[in-house]
Amino acid sequence: MDRVGTYRQMVRIREFEERVKRSFAEHPGVIRGHTHLADGAEASIVGSIAALRPGDQVMATYRCHGYPIALGSDPGALMAEIYGRTTGICGGYGGSMHLADPAHGFLGTSGIVGQSIPQATGAAYAAQVRSAGSAARTGDVVLCFFGDGASKQGAFHESLNIASLWKLPIVYVMENNSYSVSVRVEQEDANAAAGEPLATKAKAYSMPGVTIDGGDADVVHATLAEAVARARAGEGPTLVESLVYRLSAHGNSIAPPGVPLHYPEHEAVTVFGDVAEYEAAKRGDPVPRYRGALVTGGVLDAAAADAIVAGAVAEMQGAVDFALASPDPDPAAALRFVHA
Amino acid sequence: MAREITYIAAIMEGIHQEMARDDDVLLIGQSVGGSPEDPFVATFGPDRVRVTPISETAEIGMAAGAALAGKRPVVDCTMAEFLLVAMDQVVNEANRFHYMSGGQVTAPLVLKAGYGFTAGWAGQHTGSIYGMFMGVPGLKVALPSTPADAKGLMATAIRDDNPVLFLHHYLLTLETGDVPEGEHLVPFGQAAIVRPGTDVTIVATGWTVHRALEAAEELAADGVSVEVIDPRTIAPLDVDTILASVARTGRLVLVDQATKHASVSAIVAAEVAEAGFSSLRAPIVQVTALDAPIAYAKPMEDFVLPDVGKIVAGVRRAVDATVGAGR
Amino acid sequence: MTTAVTVDARVLRDLLATMWRIRAFEEQVGALKRADEVHGLIHLSIGGEGVAAAVCRQLRDDDAVYSGHRAHGHAVAKGAPLDRTMAELMGRDGGLCQGMGGSMHLVDVAHGFLGATGVVGGNIPLALGSALAAKQRGTDVVAVVFFGDGAVQAGLFTESVNLATLWRLPVLLVCENNGFAEFTPRSAHTTVERVGDVVAPYPLPRQTVDGNEVADVWSAFSALLARARAGEGPALLECLTHRLRGHYEGDPDRYREAVSTEDWQRKDPILRLQRAGHDAGWLPAGEPAELEKRARAEVEDAVTWARSSPFPSAVPEELR
Repeated sequence: MDRVGTYRQMVRIREFEERVKRSFAEHPGVIRGHTHLADGAEASIVGSIAALRPGDQVMATYRCHGYPIALGSDPGALMAEIYGRTTGICGGYGGSMHLADPAHGFLGTSGIVGQSIPQATGAAYAAQVRSAGSAARTGDVVLCFFGDGASKQGAFHESLNIASLWKLPIVYVMENNSYSVSVRVEQEDANAAAGEPLATKAKAYSMPGVTIDGGDADVVHATLAEAVARARAGEGPTLVESLVYRLSAHGNSIAPPGVPLHYPEHEAVTVFGDVAEYEAAKRGDPVPRYRGALVTGGVLDAAAADAIVAGAVAEMQGAVDFALASPDPDPAAALRFVHA
Repeated sequence: MAREITYIAAIMEGIHQEMARDDDVLLIGQSVGGSPEDPFVATFGPDRVRVTPISETAEIGMAAGAALAGKRPVVDCTMAEFLLVAMDQVVNEANRFHYMSGGQVTAPLVLKAGYGFTAGWAGQHTGSIYGMFMGVPGLKVALPSTPADAKGLMATAIRDDNPVLFLHHYLLTLETGDVPEGEHLVPFGQAAIVRPGTDVTIVATGWTVHRALEAAEELAADGVSVEVIDPRTIAPLDVDTILASVARTGRLVLVDQATKHASVSAIVAAEVAEAGFSSLRAPIVQVTALDAPIAYAKPMEDFVLPDVGKIVAGVRRAVDATVGAGR
Repeated sequence: MTTAVTVDARVLRDLLATMWRIRAFEEQVGALKRADEVHGLIHLSIGGEGVAAAVCRQLRDDDAVYSGHRAHGHAVAKGAPLDRTMAELMGRDGGLCQGMGGSMHLVDVAHGFLGATGVVGGNIPLALGSALAAKQRGTDVVAVVFFGDGAVQAGLFTESVNLATLWRLPVLLVCENNGFAEFTPRSAHTTVERVGDVVAPYPLPRQTVDGNEVADVWSAFSALLARARAGEGPALLECLTHRLRGHYEGDPDRYREAVSTEDWQRKDPILRLQRAGHDAGWLPAGEPAELEKRARAEVEDAVTWARSSPFPSAVPEELR
């Protein structure tokens, strides 16, 4: 794996998310509705996607800014989408929760918890059928990202059973950030309440299930590389529970029009008053952690790392500038794309 | 060359021919492809035809995902009520993808399900629930009433680039009719005038089309000329054909097996009241199912459903009434 | 094969009588369906009487039972009167649901048979709700839900298992695993052979028993029931059964190898219990025939009663 490239992607995602967050203060009213940030999950996202090759596909949830960035989408088009501009990657039709960039293998997201799991499973079925019909397309895989909360959805159970039964080329990456919005995982999950990892659930489907440190990009990549290879070889799916910590609140504040939106503090603090937990998570931030590992390991020097950060800052400034300068969609365009 | 086959055979022939024409068409469901002798498995192999567990959310969600990835899945959902188990996937996912992506992706899939099995199937297997889907943007809804339309609408549904709900009427399953042998497409959004007439327009769907035709025959003996229109697809809905007919007849009777407040009838009534009011010479009459679930015992089942007698009475009400009398 | 567990002979006699009542009832329903006196979709539980009897006969009227589309046996075992149950299947006014429900929607609140639902798996969360209510009232009432192995692949199964376990609800999940989901064998639905293995990831007790060995079902359920009554939470009991009929009456049944008569003689839960009773000496030689005769007479009376009940009037009284 290109470890420096991995670090660069992680920094790009972090800077993008920081700019989304800052937009609420710097450009009030520009972002409407609900956004969900991936800060804290960068190592998991980039380490996973690094295991893919062209032709593979990804589906995810509404917390979806990071995946297309790692897959190569234009951050300007992504920011413009979040700003609701006509130059957005979906022309302003989708917004933060519904990014899609099929040209880069990002088939899309569902805004409803758990519902992209069967969709990704279907994409894997399509890949399997394609493989049977064409040597050139043999071995394409699908990565399916979702959160720990989604594993309580029936869609999860139904899909993993079928994927195992049909030996579909898919890897399920459950980003377990310990919170479903403001509910802690042990409050809603019988396995967590019993002190067990959520990857235990794979047992019900005769499927390998592993729990890994999702804050370590190298570990994530090694795990995903193995699971993806297994899927490519036609040996079926794997459930990877990637332990991450979301460093921002579930989403920005929810308020009627006219009330300024902002990002509240993390639920560990606002709901549970557990400042220590949140501070510990900040200390374990995967982005500086990976930088530290690379610098200590002699892979990257401090100056080069700073240059990567500076590059990302400039790139995302450009994304914000592009989005701000972009026009709103034509109102009447609301009637386009109702049908294909 | 047309020949007489059953409604259900026509549907399956439509799927079969489209699968033969386009390798991307897949067929999955709880009651398809379960054995190697299955005619679909035998022809198209176990990759393209697969039996699924009782997992509605996964079946329909997977169809959406496979569609995004370039396939054209047909999901045999068995009964329309089973769609309700997976409501999010039916009305809030695939049908939104094209729009939310700004036109980047399409989700061509067909959800085939039977409805209206008022033959003692009681409260959870007999509903005519299409009304709750016809106003869902991005979703198309076909309700064939004849074997030929069943085949033609299925072929069109499979070729359509949108999610299509193909709802076939269980009471018509073994009805026969002439069906073209080869490629046969029935366009969406194009109503059929199944019986021309001059005095009253009836709009009916599915099984009620045939009840309306029987009523028209009975009324013809009394000198009342009834035009019967079958919209064939309710989304898109061919309002123009209905308006043009009402412009000629001045009277509209709407027949629907759905409960009145969730019916095609209510929507057509609203459209004609809004755009065809000046044509009307009598109040619109709705002959729908009564607003109740379907009971098990036959007398109660019969009571809530439209029938020929109720249609005839409805037409007579329309004919006898005069708008603005005394004005 | 004889059972290793000891269950009181009085209990076993009661179970045998209950099974005969169900068998006689179901065979009569099948005959009435063929004679068109019962219409619609009918799923019979012939061969599954042992599970219905061994589970329901341990319950009280205030315990809630939910069943699915194959519900007649559970209702009868829970105490639903044969005459009003038969009248419901015949669509009569005197039926349990006044002819509104039919075979797939039997309800007898007085006997704690809260209902059958017609959509696979839909009854499982309902039972959790009854269990939650019982727990909140502070009673030792339990809820029991019967479902087939097909329901286990539906999402609401694990949604329910997770919540029942997490909240320690007094609910007993009784899966009748007949190896078929509607028309397809279990192997076409999942890689997991035993339903008990599907809940393996969850910390709840589970047990798999031979559903045709009535005493085994009784003993296994008895232990799980005691736990649930004591507030120790839910459990899953998987009963391996064999569906003697097709999925529904009239089902051409081509997908399943016919059960040879000899094989069935060995498996039939009624014959097995009778053999065990004979061997153990608690069942006098003439008693099986007597129980069968009594059950068939009772069913005959139920049919007579149901036939005398009028069809429901199309127009409800309050609307006349």
